[in-house]
Amino acid sequence: MNIIDVLFPTIVFTVCSLATVPLLRFVRKTKIDPQRFMVAWMVLVFSLAAVGVFRIATEYFGQSQSFIRISSADTILAPLSSTFLVDTVSVYMVIAYMIVGSIASLYGVLHVSAKENLSERYYALLLMVTGAVIATTFSGDFLTLFIFWEATASGACFLVAYRKSKESLESAMKYLVMVIIASGFILYGLSLIYGITGSLNFWVVKEHLVTTSNPQLLLVAFAFLVAGYSIETAIVPFHMWMPDAYTAAPDSASAFLSSIVDQGSYYVLLRVLLFILTPTAVVDWRFTVAIFSALTMTVGNLFALAQTNVKRMISYVCIADIGYNLIAITSLTSIGLQGNLFFFFVAAMETGLAFMTIGVFRRMGFETLEDMSGLGRKMPLTSLAFVCAALSFSGVPLFAGFIAKYMVFTSVLQSSVAWLALVGVSNSVLQSAYFLRVIHHLFAKAPKDDIPIIEPKKLLVPIYLLVILIVVLGLFPSLALDLLSGAATFLPT
Amino acid sequence: MQTLLIALMLPALAIPVVYGVGKKSAKAAALILALLSIVSLCLIVTLIPTVLNEGQYIESYYWIPSLGSAFTLFVDGISLSLAIVTLILVAACTVYSINYMEDKKSLPEYYALMSLLTIGLVGVFITSNLLLFYFCWELMLVPTYFIIGGWGYKDSFRAAFKFFIFTHAGAIFVLLGIGAIYMLTGTLDIFEAQAILVTVDPGILQWVLISFTAGFAVKMAIVPLHMWLPDAHGEAPAPMSALLSGVIIGAGGYAILRIALGTVYSAMAPTSNEFLLVLSFFGVLSAFYGSFLALAETDIKRIIAYSSISHMGYILFAFSLFPVAEGITGGVLHLVNHAASKGLLFLTAGAVMHQTGVRNIKDMGGLASKMPLTAIASAIAAFSIGGIPPFACFISEFHIFVGAVTAAGVDSSYYLPTVLMLVATVFSLAYVLRYFWKVFLEAPKTPRNDIKDPHIFITVSMIALAAFVVILGIYPGIFIDLIHAFTSIG
Repeated sequence: MNIIDVLFPTIVFTVCSLATVPLLRFVRKTKIDPQRFMVAWMVLVFSLAAVGVFRIATEYFGQSQSFIRISSADTILAPLSSTFLVDTVSVYMVIAYMIVGSIASLYGVLHVSAKENLSERYYALLLMVTGAVIATTFSGDFLTLFIFWEATASGACFLVAYRKSKESLESAMKYLVMVIIASGFILYGLSLIYGITGSLNFWVVKEHLVTTSNPQLLLVAFAFLVAGYSIETAIVPFHMWMPDAYTAAPDSASAFLSSIVDQGSYYVLLRVLLFILTPTAVVDWRFTVAIFSALTMTVGNLFALAQTNVKRMISYVCIADIGYNLIAITSLTSIGLQGNLFFFFVAAMETGLAFMTIGVFRRMGFETLEDMSGLGRKMPLTSLAFVCAALSFSGVPLFAGFIAKYMVFTSVLQSSVAWLALVGVSNSVLQSAYFLRVIHHLFAKAPKDDIPIIEPKKLLVPIYLLVILIVVLGLFPSLALDLLSGAATFLPT
Repeated sequence: MQTLLIALMLPALAIPVVYGVGKKSAKAAALILALLSIVSLCLIVTLIPTVLNEGQYIESYYWIPSLGSAFTLFVDGISLSLAIVTLILVAACTVYSINYMEDKKSLPEYYALMSLLTIGLVGVFITSNLLLFYFCWELMLVPTYFIIGGWGYKDSFRAAFKFFIFTHAGAIFVLLGIGAIYMLTGTLDIFEAQAILVTVDPGILQWVLISFTAGFAVKMAIVPLHMWLPDAHGEAPAPMSALLSGVIIGAGGYAILRIALGTVYSAMAPTSNEFLLVLSFFGVLSAFYGSFLALAETDIKRIIAYSSISHMGYILFAFSLFPVAEGITGGVLHLVNHAASKGLLFLTAGAVMHQTGVRNIKDMGGLASKMPLTAIASAIAAFSIGGIPPFACFISEFHIFVGAVTAAGVDSSYYLPTVLMLVATVFSLAYVLRYFWKVFLEAPKTPRNDIKDPHIFITVSMIALAAFVVILGIYPGIFIDLIHAFTSIG
């Protein structure tokens, strides 16, 4: 495998993203329906990238090493000297991004009218961000990780600002400021690490961390690094930007951001914490992370409980999800890591599904809980999809969310922070309570008027694709878990 | 032969069929579902000889190896008995629904949810894998929420909400227990796990035990975790009340016996029986609490709901005699008898409400002459619940008390709860007699002439279930044999 192979999906996405704008402008001038063209274009781009991902996956699973390192040191990219890493975790995550990203982009194409001016930029951004997040996942050194991750985050800012309303510009500004502060922290940490170890390569840094007799300065550097990525992951108390950004973004962008960018940011944190800082003898960060985990999920769920705007509520659920993920990171067990990775995939589908159904509701003019009264009878299919998302969030079996939560909570039971499991389950009950309140509004309350509503059938296609995926993975989680059997090789024994 | 797999999957396959047929004719959908549950019943009944001879019957399929889980279906004496009575009750309730629900809307959805519920109700008894058990456990919850909410009486979604939150919170504690078992043993099969748990520190196991017991006690509606029950049972449509009271809360009792006591507690090899005495205390408390409130209540369905709390107290008391064989036999037999009798009692109460349109027993009276068939069925159910010989529940209560006396012979601290429990049976009899008198016999305040026996399907299902209760009373042998096949091994 060489560097082109690893970067193939990203190259496909980037090139096609650049081609999208002129192509769509051209198509608008012809008689071809621009929406149909965009659906075909997205299918084409994603299948081309999927071929690349498939090649990487078959090559990785076809050999016996637990990971493959690809360095650019002997290629034309040598001056940049990037390193890439293909292991179980990155392959799995990229597969998850491809699946959820294609569905979310399809929804984006169907939701944002292709006739609208500027919509070509929107589609181009969707592709660009997907490409960047895939490259982030394959990164094998801190600088590559940083560059591609910042590309992802800035792309996300543009998606938030797409509507150009006062609200969306303001929240995009807030997001951008947070991202810039975070990258300041990260860069400072990186420069320290480079100064000490002379490299930003994951393995070199990790080895240095174990062998050095005086790791204090290195730990300070890592403190900056983790702080920076915590801001981008929206861990409480650095979460303020997230609900604003996700609420102000266009509905399809919220679905896309929550399922791709959000999961990508957890992944980055997981990589830094679990794969590089795992010699916990050097620094035991478990208790600290446990505190932040408890704080994040409790604050997320309590704020979600207080919301009457459903879209904002789901944004807070995204924050609570980070808390659940941190539980698994804290456990440092194989089941925790597998649960965590499964949780990424499931949370991507769940939040995507929830934002997509809310997008349908909002298109019909229903935003708050009160507005949603009685919609269960008027929009049965959309409501059913929302119920599936809600039950999956609440951790009810048949839906994949249950297996994810089960693995996450279980993983921590035998560690020194077993109380975290109790905090987790209490939060889970709280979560089911406010989701049940939405279901209550949908089905128990009388509708405000008798005007029949025709559900947008096209938008239901990506929604039901996700519903089917969630149920299938809920019944047969082995489909995903079997890919993860080798994921725990990095953990300390 | 995949007997159990087919029996479990028939209702799952029925969901699209029932929904599709239901769009055309709700009656046909109900009959299909009833027929399929009877086919499932027949399949399960064919396993009786195997279980009587070998003690248990197991099927295992590939599922989630990375979580220590196989799709293991298994029956032994007690799970077989409970699965049989569950399927009989499902068939009766479905047939009953044909007339009872005919003026309601969205019936295809109703029957589809009933099919989904059936998987949960049966599955919870016939698996030995904890993860699969939890799947079925929550499958008893979600369809029930929608059935209570969507087709219940006034303010039904509120009652359903309460039901969901309470029992889901309980289930989460069960999940913690399951997770702990996985982390301690690396498997989720209860038999394999139990063999490994023996070597685990009892100090850790006691937390697992408490987590499980608390979680199951919520479903079982043991005082003080019972608050959801009167509302949920009161506002649910009658067939759902029958299943709730007959099977769902009984499943809580079954789970306490099978998992909390049978798997965790027995692995702890405890030196003192404090835990069991606490259970028996809560059993007595529930028995009294339920009986007193049933005596004071005037709403026809809430009387029966409170009676369920009281009877769950009996069952918890019986299981607190663990490992006395007679006590467990009595407890499991009481689960079976109570399921059939209480199911029947709810169905007859539903028939009364359906025909009279009122639900306060003060507005009823003299219905025996107007609705003779309902009255007979109701009498059989009520006398059984009251523990009058030779009806079903008398037999099981008798077994429980034989067990209690045996246990008291070994440990004198059981004397007090046993005596209190005997007093509680008097109150049980009292509220049953009051109920039957007020509804069927007492001269009505405002005589009405427009009341008659309900339609054919309601009547048929009630009579069939009444016949089953009578058989349970005069010929309890088959179930006792089955349960003995379990207790003699355990």
